[in-house]
Amino acid sequence: MENAQKFSARNLDFYYGDVKALDDISITIGKNQVTALIGPSGCGKSTFLRCLNRMNDLIPGTRVQGLIHLDGEDIYAPKVDVVNLRRRVGMVFQKPNPFPKTIFENVAYGLRVNGIKDKKSLRQQVEKSLHQAALWEEVKDRLNGSALGLSGGQQQRLCIARALAVEPDVLLMDEPASALDPIATQKIEDLIHELKKNFTIIIVTHSMQQAARVSDITAFFYMGKLIETGDTETVFTRPSLQQTEDYITGRFG
Amino acid sequence: MEDRKHFVNSLEKLKMMLLNMATMTRRAVENANQAFQDRNEGLAQAVIDGDHAINDLEVQIDNISLKLLALEQPMARDLRFIIGAMRISNDLERIADQAVNVAERTLFLCQHPPLDPIPAMEQLMEVTGDMLDRAIKSFVEEDPKQAISIREMDDTADHWTMVVLQTLIENMVQNTPEGEKRLVNTRRSVQTIIASRCLERVGDLSTNIGEHVAFIVTGMNVKHQKIAF
Ligand SMILES: Nc1ncnc2c1ncn2[C@@H]1O[C@H](COP(=O)(O)OP(=O)(O)OP(=O)(O)O)[C@@H](O)[C@H]1O
Ligand SMILES: [Mg+2]
Repeated sequence: MENAQKFSARNLDFYYGDVKALDDISITIGKNQVTALIGPSGCGKSTFLRCLNRMNDLIPGTRVQGLIHLDGEDIYAPKVDVVNLRRRVGMVFQKPNPFPKTIFENVAYGLRVNGIKDKKSLRQQVEKSLHQAALWEEVKDRLNGSALGLSGGQQQRLCIARALAVEPDVLLMDEPASALDPIATQKIEDLIHELKKNFTIIIVTHSMQQAARVSDITAFFYMGKLIETGDTETVFTRPSLQQTEDYITGRFG
Repeated sequence: MEDRKHFVNSLEKLKMMLLNMATMTRRAVENANQAFQDRNEGLAQAVIDGDHAINDLEVQIDNISLKLLALEQPMARDLRFIIGAMRISNDLERIADQAVNVAERTLFLCQHPPLDPIPAMEQLMEVTGDMLDRAIKSFVEEDPKQAISIREMDDTADHWTMVVLQTLIENMVQNTPEGEKRLVNTRRSVQTIIASRCLERVGDLSTNIGEHVAFIVTGMNVKHQKIAF
């Protein structure tokens, strides 16, 4: 199954000051696929993820070289509207970070930022996003309650709903389940399977099992380099490189 | 990153158990053949009595494998090794059953005067023994090339099985006098044919083991395919 390509990075280097954090990364990310980024701590997974929606721009002293295309267009081109890019490429972080507002307002936040004022459209879009994030049933009676009153797993799905509300194409997830218990993790993983029908998902995870369970493609990073990328099934049953084998079988260091 | 010492040790232990089982199975086949050729009832009985130890090992290997799969969630080569170990032990157990079967035929045949020696039977023992040896060796040496080459010996094994069958059919049809003697001769021949079938199975199962070894080492499923390394 050949998916249309969503992202394509070519010879991407990334620097924090003088420190090269990404070294010559080239990868194609298919549309409506789940791509898992794995690799030891500090190998550059989060850095790469943040390059995809230019979140790194917010960190002073950083520098990008090389190309990243989204739907065939250079996202680092001068004319690119970064706010719009971040709307198209949403992000969910490791720790659920709801705003200290109501559940409704959390999800409506991005819509309001985008200038939507109509009460009915707001309500519709909030409801739709909560459905997509598989949270609606649990919160439909308490939309005006505080988001901080939700469990960790619910908060994380709320953050996913918040990201989905602005109708992105791509969802970047940086260890979205690492702070959650197994049941909440299971819900997030089920959700990922559901969401990939409509979204392209790139997920960073430290759990090999999670990468194996949720992703179609797995990319193994090591010391800023992309070592191997391939079908998840192949990477986890017969990786082509010894380094990948050593990492996924836990024979590292 | 932890280096999974405990897990690596468990895999090593699993490998040792499998080697142990392979050695015992190889010896069972060897002894069954020897007992058959020498009409040695004691040795045949020893093969039959020794089988439970091989069965026990298969169960132990299954248990350890299941535990490792559930608790360690192995990946890549580790995963293939454990799955391969379960398959290999299953085939070894079946090979040992064939040895028991040959030993049982031997006990029967020892109750009657011997047939004329059948050279094809000796050939069959030799080639299937070689196949098993090669299967075990390919596992120890993790050598997929050697593992796959076992297949090529299968035609030879089939050939000698056919020759045994033909020889004994001729024997039954041609030089059998009437009455009691004919019955005995037919029985001896049929028992010998069954023994030859068992040996042929030993060859087949050794071929399977070779395929499991190739799977463990390369990740390729080579069953029912022509693949060269
Ligand atoms: N804001 C920053 N300023 C300077 N260096 C940074 C910054 N963020 C990351 N780095 C460095 O860049 C390299 C890659 O870090 P990154 O966070 O991308 O790794 P990671 O693979 O996501 O690790 P982890 O699994 O621990 O989250 C590391 O050496 C890290 O120290
Ligand atoms: Mg990170």
